[in-house]
Amino acid sequence: MTTDDVTRDPVGRVLGTQPASPLTFWTALLPEQWLQLDDVVVTERDVPGRGRVVTSGIVTQVEARHEGATFASDVHLIADGTLPAEVVEQAEVTVTRVEPELYVPPTPGAAVRRAEAGERDAALHFDAMERQLPIGTGRDGRPVFANFDFVDGTKGAHVSISGISGVATKTSYALFLLHSVFTSGVLGAKAANTKAMVYCVKGEDLLYLDYPNTRLTPEAEADYALLGLPATPFRSVHVFAPPRPGDPSGTPAVTGRQGGAVTSMFWTLAEFCRDEMLPFCFADAEDDRAQYTLLIGQVAARLKREAVPIGDTGAVQVAGHTVRTWEDLVRLLDAELTDDATRSGWTPGATALGSVNAFLRRLHSSVRALGPLVRGDLDLRDRVPVSTSQAQVTVVDIHSLPDRAQRFVVGTTLRRQLRDKEASGTADPLTFIVLDELNKYAPREGSHPIKEILLDVAERGRSLGVVLVGAQQTASEVERRIVSNCAIRVAGRLDPAEAGRPEYGYLPPSQRQRALLAKPGSMFVSQPDLPVPLAVGFPFPAWATRAAEAGAPPEAPTGVQASKVAADPFARFTPDRGDDPAPF
Amino acid sequence: MRVAVDPWDPGYGTPGAGGEPDDVSARVTLDLEVPADQWRPLPADREGWEPTQVLLVDGVRRVDARLWFGLDDDPVPQPGLAASHAAGVVRLDGSARVVAQRVERTLFTALGAARDLVTPLGTYRVAHAAGGDDDALRLALQQRMTSLEVAVADAARVDDDLLVVDGPLRGRTALPRAMGYVKAHHATYLDDARNAVVAALGPCERTPVFTIGTSWTRHAWYLRLPTSSTMPWAGIVRCEVADTLSRGEAVALAGVSCRVLPPLASLPHKDPRAPANLVPVGGLERTLRHRLGDAVKLHRAITVAAARVA
Repeated sequence: MTTDDVTRDPVGRVLGTQPASPLTFWTALLPEQWLQLDDVVVTERDVPGRGRVVTSGIVTQVEARHEGATFASDVHLIADGTLPAEVVEQAEVTVTRVEPELYVPPTPGAAVRRAEAGERDAALHFDAMERQLPIGTGRDGRPVFANFDFVDGTKGAHVSISGISGVATKTSYALFLLHSVFTSGVLGAKAANTKAMVYCVKGEDLLYLDYPNTRLTPEAEADYALLGLPATPFRSVHVFAPPRPGDPSGTPAVTGRQGGAVTSMFWTLAEFCRDEMLPFCFADAEDDRAQYTLLIGQVAARLKREAVPIGDTGAVQVAGHTVRTWEDLVRLLDAELTDDATRSGWTPGATALGSVNAFLRRLHSSVRALGPLVRGDLDLRDRVPVSTSQAQVTVVDIHSLPDRAQRFVVGTTLRRQLRDKEASGTADPLTFIVLDELNKYAPREGSHPIKEILLDVAERGRSLGVVLVGAQQTASEVERRIVSNCAIRVAGRLDPAEAGRPEYGYLPPSQRQRALLAKPGSMFVSQPDLPVPLAVGFPFPAWATRAAEAGAPPEAPTGVQASKVAADPFARFTPDRGDDPAPF
Repeated sequence: MRVAVDPWDPGYGTPGAGGEPDDVSARVTLDLEVPADQWRPLPADREGWEPTQVLLVDGVRRVDARLWFGLDDDPVPQPGLAASHAAGVVRLDGSARVVAQRVERTLFTALGAARDLVTPLGTYRVAHAAGGDDDALRLALQQRMTSLEVAVADAARVDDDLLVVDGPLRGRTALPRAMGYVKAHHATYLDDARNAVVAALGPCERTPVFTIGTSWTRHAWYLRLPTSSTMPWAGIVRCEVADTLSRGEAVALAGVSCRVLPPLASLPHKDPRAPANLVPVGGLERTLRHRLGDAVKLHRAITVAAARVA
């Protein structure tokens, strides 16, 4: 039998004992035939006066049972060869396309066959996608695409990825999507200028994006080739890492990354006052409930008004005092707000003393966390401010920072990004923002400055050219308006309780069940063009995800940053190449 | 000619099992296998001829509609019976499979002018019965089903198999290696002493082979299937083979029956005719009944078709 015969031969017939509808129908399989979940099938029907209607769909459930058995114990009689019975297999098909759009049910008894190459692409609406973004490999081993119009803001934007930490490979998939966006050619000429900002939240796994992965097998390379993507690491990566604590020269706290661009990330006190960054020091859920939010605004406003830059290290003079470190600033604010004579200058009107004290207590507790990040004591020559202008992919490494500092960095950099885009006045080129733990930065309950920015990105990002690729363990705990604005929704392995929540309504019941046992590397991707999410697998990362996998480092940067990194005695330290299992 | 469907549901008024009236004036020869005074329960022998496969044949029938034929020149209408009947074979050779099945739809009547009844769901072919009364029509249906069983069984035979026919072997004694399997005991063929032997049979034990001569002659023996009931004749079935077989052949078949049939006995909570209604036959009957089609739809189709004949 040739392959052509296999594809032309019917695998089953439309079942008549279950009602067939234009949206879903069941098929009984012919002997020696099989269908698995996610297979694409086609059936045809002649409609009098209107011609042939082709109904195609995806198998969303398969069942096998004994026909002729009445009692459960009959299975033993049948297996022992005493009772005659037949094994019947039937498959539920969820219709994805009716062509032409004449919504008649398929006729019971009509032949159902596997979709051939062209039919399969039509069934999955790939033929109607002008710009196809490869998003992985289908269960049939063929590429699966998303409509890029729903990623770049033309018709919709934003990607939401949900799944259990560690098993769902959310970050890996987000980066695969990014790789696909940059290298698949969907961006055309704009690919060169399109930028991405990736927050490294959980470990050093995103610090080697421009290193080839030494564990990449030829099979994985073939997977990339199948999708039309190069099996290469990211071309241009710049890492921003926080300064090493206690280091007077402010070298970045990065150990494993020995080649490629790394700069330390900090904000001067002058910028802090000028850009009113104080609210981002108070971005916890705890702060949301407190009564001092008005006070934060008043203090930030006065700092902006009165702070005068001094010298060339970013130090400022406030209320006649020179402030060189974050601790100095906290101490100054404490003195000014505690003194009855000066307090009214900072907070006009009657602010309760309790609120002032609560504000100061929170401010004091931030000294250790924010001290290394907000400072006025470093040499600013050749300093690189945190922005996406340095490379195509900007990695902001916050994994080593305490929670408060993480929030400060995320809030500050996101706002900067959004303001830059607003100022540029055009959506092109696009900026992708990859942020994990969205349930921390944009929780469903309460309100704080970072959540407001993320909401802004979700609701206005389409027109600004900012695309959010958010990941979270539990979509049910993320602000609903953010999730509902995401055109592409992805689910990896889900927690059973989580899978039952309405946020996953886009997954049909059988896929919800499957999401409980999804393997690492397989995802369910829902897109507006298709009524059923597609199960896809994506290839092993072509870039290193930890030091042990890292191949030859990319070219070391030239110039002062490089010499700065090279001068760092710790940067040359080779980390322990532990052989812990890959996060993939 | 006009045809009308009797509005009565055909399920009513069905006489008994529609089978043959048992002949009580039977000549019984008891000493075919052992002398009559040495009758005792015989245990299943472990050795002997082993069939390569066991075929079980059975048929089902259902009256779909009772018809009345009215001729213009005859004031008395003639009855007819539209029936669906099917026969099938289960082959046991490690697995149980329905290997042959056939469904026929027939219109039984004594009226010579009757024509085939064509309905959208199938055509009822006319078969002429010997008599016009209800019993004669039902007997014709029974005979038709029996011959269908023979035809179906014939097609499934292989060398060295054993054919078990559900019911008496009457009319089918010419089939090689065939055994009739009688579940119901309408007549008493043995005397009291021999009946005591039957009652004393243990599970899988049989009586010696004896010969029954009624309107036709055959060799027979009683066999007890395993059962939990303590009634004296519970689980007793009668097996029949053709009288043309030699003593040795008949005894060999009797020996095989003790090994082949007891494992097929059904369970009371699954089959109201347990244990005598064998499991493969129960499954076959279910399949065949299903193949007869939907009674309500067929009745409606016949009504519509009959109205068109007028």
